[in-house]
Amino acid sequence: MLPSILPPLLLAACLLAGWEIYCRLADVAPLILPAPSGVLQALVLNRADIGAHALSTIAVAALGFSLSVGFAFLVSIMLHFLPWAKKGLMPLFVASQTIPLIALAPLMILWFGFGLLPKVLLVILVTFFPMLLSLLSGYRQTPAAFADLLASMGAGRLSIFRRAVLPSARPSFFAGLRISATYAIVATIFAEYAGARRGLGIYILAAKNNFHADLVLAAVVVSAALTLALLGAIRLLDRLTAPGSKARHA
Amino acid sequence: MLDLRGLSIGGADGAMVVRDLSLSLPASGITALIGPSGCGKSSVLKWLAGILPKDLDAEGQLMLDGQASARPSPAISYQPQGDGLFPWLTVAQNAALGLQVRGLSRAEALSRVAPLFRSFGLKGTESQFPDQLSGGMRQRAAFLRTVVQDSRYILLDEPFSALDAVTRLRMQDWLVARLADRPRGVLLVTHDLHEATRLADRILVMTGSPGRIVAEIPVPGPPTQRSEAALAPLRDDLKSLLLENAP
Ligand SMILES: Nc1ncnc2c1ncn2[C@@H]1O[C@H](COP(=O)(O)OP(=O)(O)OP(=O)(O)O)[C@@H](O)[C@H]1O
Ligand SMILES: [Mg+2]
Repeated sequence: MLPSILPPLLLAACLLAGWEIYCRLADVAPLILPAPSGVLQALVLNRADIGAHALSTIAVAALGFSLSVGFAFLVSIMLHFLPWAKKGLMPLFVASQTIPLIALAPLMILWFGFGLLPKVLLVILVTFFPMLLSLLSGYRQTPAAFADLLASMGAGRLSIFRRAVLPSARPSFFAGLRISATYAIVATIFAEYAGARRGLGIYILAAKNNFHADLVLAAVVVSAALTLALLGAIRLLDRLTAPGSKARHA
Repeated sequence: MLDLRGLSIGGADGAMVVRDLSLSLPASGITALIGPSGCGKSSVLKWLAGILPKDLDAEGQLMLDGQASARPSPAISYQPQGDGLFPWLTVAQNAALGLQVRGLSRAEALSRVAPLFRSFGLKGTESQFPDQLSGGMRQRAAFLRTVVQDSRYILLDEPFSALDAVTRLRMQDWLVARLADRPRGVLLVTHDLHEATRLADRILVMTGSPGRIVAEIPVPGPPTQRSEAALAPLRDDLKSLLLENAP
């Protein structure tokens, strides 16, 4: 665990040190590019404000993400059992992924206002498809021998799905969860940027309009930390629910 | 008695995999099915187990004690090539799988398999996972899963082919002992002539393109009392039969 996080930490430290040294030696105006120390200072000074906005972002991302995962799970089961539905619906899902967010986000705000709904919808729109694809590809990875064995025991399609297909899709499910989680935070911030009362997105917009590059970067640091925390939580969930996690560590 | 009559299996490209194959399996003792790779042994077993891939056309009739029977049948349990143990289930859960599929609750199924772990040489492995077991133990676990289903007939597809020579010999003796406890009609697919002559009461020799049975050879004496020397000529006969019929 520790050695694996050491290299990225070292690399990040080197980059930050280089950035700090450059800002000081080249005497860059903090309005254009604040030094890491300046960003940190801005973050500490405005922690209450940024924290409140971050909380709102977390709430929207978590709600949208959970709904999306649940929805993707239901749809994946439907498509697994109804191949014709898959043929009909997949092109629509693919098309939904080609809509540029930059066009859609303002429209959503226009239609649904500044509340929770347009943001949650946007998060679902962005995270649903990768989640669905991961689940479907996980189902396909079921070894035929496992399904056959169950069928030879007299198991029906549902029993085979529950006993062989779902467990086989577990690694894919968690891979999809990790990809979608990163999208969820970014999509939330994007939606807030297009119009919101609270959230890191609107905070970034306001800071930018006031030429506070240090506050923009401070909010970026927080959003990166949120994403990392979410990924960490998913990893923990993966480990805790892995078959044999208890037996093996005992 | 299990009777398979007139089984023909055709591939998607129109090629015959198996043509007009018939065999019967008594309710106790081991019948070995030998033949070159690709001749259709696994396909015959899969058809009997009701899991032949859908892209293959098949016709034939399965009779159990003179009655036409549907497939899959609860009277037949099937052990696939490889052990087919689910890596996400414990050894006990794997062993109980067939009982659960047939409607027993998880707790009931587990309590049914629990007393058998000792005689199957698996004591202490109940809550381990398959990847923690040796190859021989995995095969024993797979066989436990097959046997607890309490079907009268058992289909084993190359159960010992992945084992080293010594473990394989031990497992063969062990299989004979387990079957003495609880007689079953076993159809054993194998590539190994030693294995066939050591274990089987009867050997069916199959050849390929299309798959059919070309000889049925009884093996004299009960498996526990056979001498290696007496079996050698029989193996020579089998070898020449296989070579004669090779394409
Ligand atoms: N799903 C399938 N579609 C088309 N042909 C198949 C399919 N499965 C098997 N075959 C063909 O059927 C033939 C018999 O295959 P099978 O697996 O039954 O042989 P086998 O005797 O068990 O061989 P081995 O000893 O290598 O296990 C092979 O030629 C194979 O190409
Ligand atoms: Mg085979």
